[in-house]
Amino acid sequence: MNELIDIFRLFGFQFFQNALLGGIIAALACAWVGLFLILRKEAMIGDGIAHTAFGGIALGLFLGINPIWTALLVSVLAVLGISYMRRKGLAQSDSAIAVMLAVGFSAGLIIISLAGGFNVELFSFLFGSILTIDQTDLIIVSILGISTIIVLGIFYKELLSITFDEESARLMGIPVRLLSLAFNLLVAITIVLSIKVIGVILVVALLVLPALSALQLNLSFKGTTLAAICFGVVSMSIGILLSAIYNVATSGVIVFTAAAIFLFTATYRKLE
Amino acid sequence: MLDSIQSSSRKEKTTILEVSNLEVDRSNSMVIEHASFTINQGDYVGVVGPNGGGKTTLILALLNILPRTKGSIRLFGQDIESFSKWEKVAYVPQHAINFDPHFPLSVRELVALGRVNRSNLGRSLKREDWEAVDEVLDFMGISDVAQKRIGQLSGGQKQRVFVAKALVRKPEIILLDEPTVGVDAETLEKFYKKLSDLNVEKGITILLVTHDLTAVFCRMSKVMCVNRLINVSEITAELKPEEILRQAYGEHFHFVFHRHQCKRVFKDE
Repeated sequence: MNELIDIFRLFGFQFFQNALLGGIIAALACAWVGLFLILRKEAMIGDGIAHTAFGGIALGLFLGINPIWTALLVSVLAVLGISYMRRKGLAQSDSAIAVMLAVGFSAGLIIISLAGGFNVELFSFLFGSILTIDQTDLIIVSILGISTIIVLGIFYKELLSITFDEESARLMGIPVRLLSLAFNLLVAITIVLSIKVIGVILVVALLVLPALSALQLNLSFKGTTLAAICFGVVSMSIGILLSAIYNVATSGVIVFTAAAIFLFTATYRKLE
Repeated sequence: MLDSIQSSSRKEKTTILEVSNLEVDRSNSMVIEHASFTINQGDYVGVVGPNGGGKTTLILALLNILPRTKGSIRLFGQDIESFSKWEKVAYVPQHAINFDPHFPLSVRELVALGRVNRSNLGRSLKREDWEAVDEVLDFMGISDVAQKRIGQLSGGQKQRVFVAKALVRKPEIILLDEPTVGVDAETLEKFYKKLSDLNVEKGITILLVTHDLTAVFCRMSKVMCVNRLINVSEITAELKPEEILRQAYGEHFHFVFHRHQCKRVFKDE
């Protein structure tokens, strides 16, 4: 009974409200973007951009500006770089991602060594620190997250058309190249806004696991989208709650909850 | 009821597609050479020829998906380069039904994608779009599977769904690239019946790439033989199929065709 009262008391704390709101926005954007990423067979671009963003974070800390903005800049450059290499035939998708990942991450290492190492703040970006989100972070996460959700909402039918059959979409006059690039920029924004929540290392889990769980249910596209968003938000909420109660790493609990949901839905599909 | 090709003679013959001296290269090798032909409104054209002869290349060039080396293509009287009314043109690609069976899309959602184009970019589909989807599902006889996932359908149902997706934009010409590969005879018969209905009842011009030569001479109004060079002939009672087909398949080609087995009336009979 006392534990239950403690849980309810948590909701009264500002830090917990910030964490929950920021986490839910990030989870929502990640789940929706992640579903398209999986269907486009580009899930690894999420991991690649997240690791490239590490270079941007190190740069921000080195220059003494908010690392979110430098991470965003580096991630956008990485997206443009991957897109350019693919378009010019310099590298296939997976190779282009590998190149950007390696360059971004090693740039981060060089900057860290030049600075003579950073304090604990760097670790909060590597592994996330959602319970320390302040008002400024929340505003940034909200602006980026809601913008992503709005753009996805406006162009989701065109993105679906491109994802399912690019050639037909092109024939129908849909600007395939422009929208594909715009989508990859949304991926970059979504990853950057999630870094503070779950960290560079685990952000790919937030992109992939909810969508993958939803895909096990054999629903329509609308149903799958709603299920992915629902699983993302539930994983995030339960993860934050359990980590606050038991004082364990939040990002780890969020990923474990998402993985448990995946296990459950995959079992359901096998038994069906 | 007899299938007929009377639609082409029923209306004024408006030229829909005009190709002049077309040449197309792929990987530095000439695939289409000196092609000149016209397709009129209501034509039902069977595009035949050996594998590698350039049938798919021709279709992709007509859609301006593949660049041409030489020549001109006019669609609805407009040069293909400046052509903008793509809603009049529908295309069912060669491997349309070979999609990822786990793709989370219901039949109704897939057909609705046929209504997504440049003109409604960034806007939700309206009620009239969904009404058009339901209408075409009904016409193609697949209303009962509208809520099913596309991966759960049989081969024949998948084909009808993709034709429905092409039709939902209410095109005036539809190009289908080998949509009948791997389909059983009964399903094939139903599929051809639907195409004939589209051609006769709705007056839609059809270009069908196929290896089913009997179907071409039994059901269609024109045959287009493609093997680098292109030759288009109107199918009449007097036409000798074997002679026509040898233009594409070579001098030693033999085609056994029993005209009496065709349930059709030639317009000159």
